[in-house]
Amino acid sequence: MDKFNLYAAQMLSFNEHFADKGHNACKGCGIALSARQVYKALENICQDIEKAEWQIPWQQEETVGSKSDNSKLSLLTIKKESGDTLQICFDNECSDKKIDNSDLIKRQPAIAAASGCNYAATASPSHPFDLIDKIRSAYKSAGSAFVQILCPCPVVWDFDTENTVRLARMAVEARVFPLYEISAGYYRISAQENNPRTVNDYLSRQGRFSGWKKKKIEALQEKVNNFYDSLIEKSNKGL
Amino acid sequence: MSNKNFKQENVGCYLLETDNAQPYKPGTKPELRPVWDKDLCARCALCYIYCPDAAISRQEDGYFDIDINKCKGCGICHRECWFGAISMQEVN
Repeated sequence: MDKFNLYAAQMLSFNEHFADKGHNACKGCGIALSARQVYKALENICQDIEKAEWQIPWQQEETVGSKSDNSKLSLLTIKKESGDTLQICFDNECSDKKIDNSDLIKRQPAIAAASGCNYAATASPSHPFDLIDKIRSAYKSAGSAFVQILCPCPVVWDFDTENTVRLARMAVEARVFPLYEISAGYYRISAQENNPRTVNDYLSRQGRFSGWKKKKIEALQEKVNNFYDSLIEKSNKGL
Repeated sequence: MSNKNFKQENVGCYLLETDNAQPYKPGTKPELRPVWDKDLCARCALCYIYCPDAAISRQEDGYFDIDINKCKGCGICHRECWFGAISMQEVN
């Protein structure tokens, strides 16, 4: 975050639409944090945000186009004025099955774009103004839209509650969760990391990867590098 | 409400209506709460945007403070403050 972004929060309205009387989530909840930022993005644009298809006990639904059929994620569906839908996936990586290499690399926006979404993006609560921009442009774009948000979970990921935002930022910095958007078929990387952290640095802060061997982590590092290279290639080509 | 145990809750602690954290009064439990040092605070509102519980609100003088009934003491504001103006202390 640079010096100009630091004071950008002053430009937001200080009215509270999300859970103005409190909610019952765990402390340091990543989903609550990102849901609040989503509500903040839409509060002046979307008139009936309170009628969006969830209430604070978050509905568990299956994702559209997800690679694995078993994974269940919270999904918020908002109807736009044009009749199309904006789907926001709050991904805390807590699926039923054992976590694997390929679960950490997010291809859902590409799948959504391939299956007819006009706008698809990834966002992270550690970059709140980027997230707010993406939600607003997803809401304003023609056609249906899909946004995937990484939500660290202190209980399952096994870390201290104060590190929720820090780990979300580290996932971006280690290129495990690159921030990019696909608008009308064109790729754009919104937060370029020129000096990335190692994947091991990101994984070693979480208890859930304590059983992982060195070989597995190196394989993941290679996969992450390949995926980021392909993203850069696509964004340079203007595809 | 405070005498309710988990057997009397719904299955999976699933909540049927919103705004029901207030009867539990999370601020009264023995945890650390953020305290602002007004000399260091630059009023940048980063703590406001990073609070998951919507507990931080802007005061009339432009500084920020918590609602003790909503804060759960996660410490994100303490960790993310650029100026080190927030410390976690026991508040009565």
